[in-house]
Amino acid sequence: MSIRRTSGLVGVLSLSLMLAGCGSSSEEGGSKASEKAETRVFAADNGKITIPADPKRVVATGYAVPALIEADAPLVGISSWKRGEPMMSEEDLAEYKKLTKVAGEQAAETNYEAIAEAEPDLIVIGVPAPVLGDIDVKRLESIAPVVAIGPSLPSAWRDLSRKQADAAGALEKFDAGQKTYEAKAAELKTKYAGVLPQLKLGHVGAYGEVAKGNFHREFGGSWGTNITEDVGATYYGKVKKAGPGSAAVSEYPSIEELPDAFAEADALTYSVNADGSVSEAVQYVLDSKLWKNLPAVKAGKTFPIRYTEAATYGSAMNTLDAIDTSLAPLLKR
Amino acid sequence: MTVAGRASGPAGAERTVAPQVGLLVGGLVLLTAVAVLSMGVGAHPVPPGDVVRALLDYQGTDNHVIVRDVRGPRALLAVAVGAALAVSGALIQTLARNPLAEPGILGVTAGAGFAITIGSALGLAAGQAGELGFAVIGSVIAALLVTAVGRRSPLRLVLTGVALTAVLSGVALGLRLMLPDVFDMYRFWSVGSLAAREQAPLALPVAAIVVSLAGALLLSRALNALALGENVAQTLGAGVGRVRAAALVLITLLCGAATAVAGPILFVGLIVPHLVRKPAAGSVPWLILYAMVLGPVLLLVADIGSRVLLPTGEVPVGIVTAFLGGPMLIWAVRRYGAGSL
Repeated sequence: MSIRRTSGLVGVLSLSLMLAGCGSSSEEGGSKASEKAETRVFAADNGKITIPADPKRVVATGYAVPALIEADAPLVGISSWKRGEPMMSEEDLAEYKKLTKVAGEQAAETNYEAIAEAEPDLIVIGVPAPVLGDIDVKRLESIAPVVAIGPSLPSAWRDLSRKQADAAGALEKFDAGQKTYEAKAAELKTKYAGVLPQLKLGHVGAYGEVAKGNFHREFGGSWGTNITEDVGATYYGKVKKAGPGSAAVSEYPSIEELPDAFAEADALTYSVNADGSVSEAVQYVLDSKLWKNLPAVKAGKTFPIRYTEAATYGSAMNTLDAIDTSLAPLLKR
Repeated sequence: MTVAGRASGPAGAERTVAPQVGLLVGGLVLLTAVAVLSMGVGAHPVPPGDVVRALLDYQGTDNHVIVRDVRGPRALLAVAVGAALAVSGALIQTLARNPLAEPGILGVTAGAGFAITIGSALGLAAGQAGELGFAVIGSVIAALLVTAVGRRSPLRLVLTGVALTAVLSGVALGLRLMLPDVFDMYRFWSVGSLAAREQAPLALPVAAIVVSLAGALLLSRALNALALGENVAQTLGAGVGRVRAAALVLITLLCGAATAVAGPILFVGLIVPHLVRKPAAGSVPWLILYAMVLGPVLLLVADIGSRVLLPTGEVPVGIVTAFLGGPMLIWAVRRYGAGSL
């Protein structure tokens, strides 16, 4: 018997013994194995990641939190997301409060042990790309596949939230929410078709810095404007020097530049808090004599907009209602 | 012959005071010019003619509003804060007979910062008015504490101020590190700025500064005697205790009000007295008068610089004065020698 033949027999014998020995457990674990085998490759900010096709235990952080709560994703842990609380429905808020918090408001406040204890099969990180550096992604990857889907342009929340819901296998309810939003936006667009598209609009955002004497001007596609644009509004102008993310559609000029910014505007909108109160940064602008000199202000065409931070279809429904309430006087003119 | 004697001597007065008056008038002209310039410089270009018209023939146009209602209050604030810091610096250096003394040594800056931190943590120091109120309370309490403990000797005063500053700064820093929102609110105040104060309630702090400046001038002759040392001052019949107490009250009011409205602006209180010491020729009244003029000039120039140095936006004036102050102090030491300090 040649050595070659002998080794071939040994190989066959070994395989037979292995199959015989593992037979029962292989059958038992067969369904588990096939479930584990059902994966897909998902393109995220951190590359092409192999994730479960139908995740059962998802951890979400940042902007992914409200998106995945709304989409009824199988969440087992979330980061804190206080800024979104005023925009959540009662049901979603109750769910948000009930879920285990595995991270704070800041990315740097990620609790890796809490995430490991939640035993997720998928982690969806919804923070901007520069903030991703504050998170130990490798450590998270040792727990479960990690997909980073963070905000870029403010108006891109539509695509990003869809992508987050897709990764978490929760597109069904997401799509329903999107349809409801689009129907409402279309309804308002028709309602204001006679007055809104004709106006050149400007917007004062909530993030000016009073201590620096500046104000927050938002152009089309920014947080304060993108949902009003869905109703048919047009915000004129563009940033002097475009930067990444929201800096591509908003800037912080000196209060002295208020006339330069808004002298051409037929009407002005400005962000207010969820409860309708005016933030210090916006109040600084509203109290300025330069604001009171603006043609749109003299004509009484200024409109506060609530819920401008909306980054999901559900929360944007609040914004649509707020826009409708605020712009209603336009229809009476 | 003492400096005071020279200034008050009938024959010498004419000879010595004339150039000092000339210098003061020159300083006032320079101050006026810089103040008008500061109202012409900013993010929105305003033609020089419009600046003048805004001051003399106000029509309420956008340019006029910018000059009169945005830059005007800012320039006035720079004048008040510059004068307050410079004069309080001159007073503390004279009182402590320490050339490195500056108004913050009484714990005023640390007290204001501590109070703002506490107020922010409690949610009470929101907005400019809230910050202003807490800064005033903090600076006055800190200065009173330091004065109460260290009033008997200049050295004790300085050491108490340094110790209290260290304690308050440490506790406040700890709180800010634990509370990110508080840190965020504090960071804008902490760099020192004159921007966006046009809507803040400034009437009371500015009035306190004006009254205190007048008080400093009234006290300056008595301080002349104190500058010679306590024993000499007592021999000359000066009420050392009363003069010192009055000076401490004035320093607290001046520095406290300035810090409350503009945040901590370093170096003005330290450098200006050195720059004017030579022309003042040892006379405290002239030292205070010159400080009253040069302090605002320095702060106005720094504030103009803060608007034009960066194309991306303003630099807080506290940073500009820090950049200017260091080299100027070195220049003063080299120019006048360490003895002048």
